[in-house]
Amino acid sequence: MEKITNNKRKRFFANKMHKEICLILFLAAIIPAFIIAICMYYLIFSVMAEQMLFPEAIAYNIIPAAKKVALMMLALAPFSIIIILSMAYKITHRIVGPYERIVRELDEHLENKRGGHIILRKNDKFLSLVERINKLLDRISA
Amino acid sequence: MLNIKNYRFISIAVLTLIIIFIHLAYTYDLPKLFRFNKKEALEEWEEKIFKNKVLYSVEPKKEGGYLSAKSDKACSGLIYRIKFYPKENPLISWSWKVIKFPEKKPAQDRDKGGWIEKDDYAARVYAIFPSWYFMNIRSLEYIWDENLPEGTIITSPYFSNIKLIVTESGRSNIGQWVFEERDIYQDYKRAFGSAPSGYVGAIALMTDTDNTLSTAEATYKDIKMGYNYEVKEKEGLGAGPEESRLERMIKKIKGWVEKNGKNNQQ
Repeated sequence: MEKITNNKRKRFFANKMHKEICLILFLAAIIPAFIIAICMYYLIFSVMAEQMLFPEAIAYNIIPAAKKVALMMLALAPFSIIIILSMAYKITHRIVGPYERIVRELDEHLENKRGGHIILRKNDKFLSLVERINKLLDRISA
Repeated sequence: MLNIKNYRFISIAVLTLIIIFIHLAYTYDLPKLFRFNKKEALEEWEEKIFKNKVLYSVEPKKEGGYLSAKSDKACSGLIYRIKFYPKENPLISWSWKVIKFPEKKPAQDRDKGGWIEKDDYAARVYAIFPSWYFMNIRSLEYIWDENLPEGTIITSPYFSNIKLIVTESGRSNIGQWVFEERDIYQDYKRAFGSAPSGYVGAIALMTDTDNTLSTAEATYKDIKMGYNYEVKEKEGLGAGPEESRLERMIKKIKGWVEKNGKNNQQ
């Protein structure tokens, strides 16, 4: 059984699972957004170019607009990536943190190093699971 | 009983048929010829207006039929969508006549700023090479310019992917029909430095005076596109516009009368 110890040095990712979930969330948000943006960009400007067809009109009207849009997309992309990444980190942290604490405290219970309830923070996930585990611990200790 | 192999065969056959059908649907009859000898001759052409409307009208009964273009500070063009590969069918021909040139200063300072103000031509014929990515669209424009020497290739002030080839120059032929025949494949190679990888997706005509804010007038006729040297030889096209169907029929009848006349005399 893998033992989770209280690591005092704070790492960006709590463990491998944290990293994986964070990556999945990040990619799930970024990849569709990227594909949709590229498709919309291509669709809108290609349809317009197809309609105009005269190269001068395309060069005069569409290309400057397309360049401006591309520039805006490039400028905004880092901000959106940072926002998505921080959101993904925050969400996954609320899942992985309590999971890690539950496993660690259960290990300590099993080794008789501690007694009492497992305590989670108010915003943490798995609160209902911990309630049941605590009831189970009470029954075992009684 | 149908087994998996049959289903596979049927699905491949259906797919092949669909591909053939799509291919046929996008295949154009070549060569395509526009004589402008019917009132409804412009039905197949689309008009694109960029700044005011150039007056394009068909004169079906005058001089065997032609298309007249009169521009007054305007910029609009006519476009015909087609698809042919210039390597296989490199030739395009047309006749044009300039009645009035747009008023512009001599073009010796065309490389300096302000050349865009002179990007008006009494007559121009486009061969447009579309691309899946709109920034890669390329175009050859055959122009009749007052000042630039014949054969000059210049880059459009709007876009480096547009090359203008001075096909007719000066005022010496003003008011006269001039026949032009161009090899798009060779012209493309000369203008862009490489052979065209795609196809010609449209042919367009334009008489514009929006930059010079002046007036211009030109006429076009007998526009033939998407043929090759073999077809040209076969149809006996010389250094002039193709004979009309009526002219060919008259020739045939004359020949037949002459032949019969000789036979009767014998």
